[in-house]
Amino acid sequence: MSAFSRDEGIYSLDLTIDEAHILINLVEQLLELLGEGDFNHHYNESDPFAQLMAQLKAAPDEVVVPEDPVLLRLLPSAYADPEAAADFRRYTEPTLRGKKKRTLEQVRKALEIIVDEDRAGVVDDLDGEVWLMAINDLRLALSVRLEINPESFDHFESLSDEDPQKPIYAVYFWLGWLQESLLNLLAQG
Amino acid sequence: MATDTLIESDLDISQLVDKPWVTIVWDDPVNLMSYVTFVFIKLFGFSQERAHELMMQVHTEGRAAVSTGSREEMERDVQRLHEHGLWATLQRDDKI
Repeated sequence: MSAFSRDEGIYSLDLTIDEAHILINLVEQLLELLGEGDFNHHYNESDPFAQLMAQLKAAPDEVVVPEDPVLLRLLPSAYADPEAAADFRRYTEPTLRGKKKRTLEQVRKALEIIVDEDRAGVVDDLDGEVWLMAINDLRLALSVRLEINPESFDHFESLSDEDPQKPIYAVYFWLGWLQESLLNLLAQG
Repeated sequence: MATDTLIESDLDISQLVDKPWVTIVWDDPVNLMSYVTFVFIKLFGFSQERAHELMMQVHTEGRAAVSTGSREEMERDVQRLHEHGLWATLQRDDKI
């Protein structure tokens, strides 16, 4: 299975073409959910992830608490008090949203090179912390749609191979495994 | 009178200055334990031991206070935790 590696401080990720496609599709769908659509996406609309990630409602013009639970998880309220939370959101959410988009965009650009040449390949000289945050946001987004809870892994293992949910859970747990492999490298300093 | 002076100086000065605020990180079933520890070290400069201890507190008790300070400082901390995907809020420190 593909994983991150590090050689003399340079991080890289070895991906099969299928894995590169899955990753770029998820990244592009999350970018679009966050309001960034200025690119030609690589997935087709029948992709099960595209259907899973499709926005529940068009984003409003003003900055308000998001209705989509994925957006609410990625852009949470900072205060329990709704009035203080709304004030804080008005001033800070565009910045937070922008940072998440830039992180995902960096990952998208690196993956695009592999996907557009339709080959398995190595993402070389990547920014470990950027990829760490992007993978974490992908996992958070998927976890909301899959309603992940502490029993989810047992549930995944009990699903039959024909179950249409099985590959989606498999990707979620694969991302966790991928993130852990990167964390192990980053924690070594 | 001497006693009046004593009473005047007994004013609760905590009423006059801003009470400290606190940043709370909440448990969720998604963020990896190793990731939460990594983020605590990166954002707050904790030792590995302290970061691990706070991560375990989040995991077992459902929440942990990770920083205290002025409201502005805690808003900055919450924002940085949100950038990293941790579920964080700020509130007045009610222990004081």
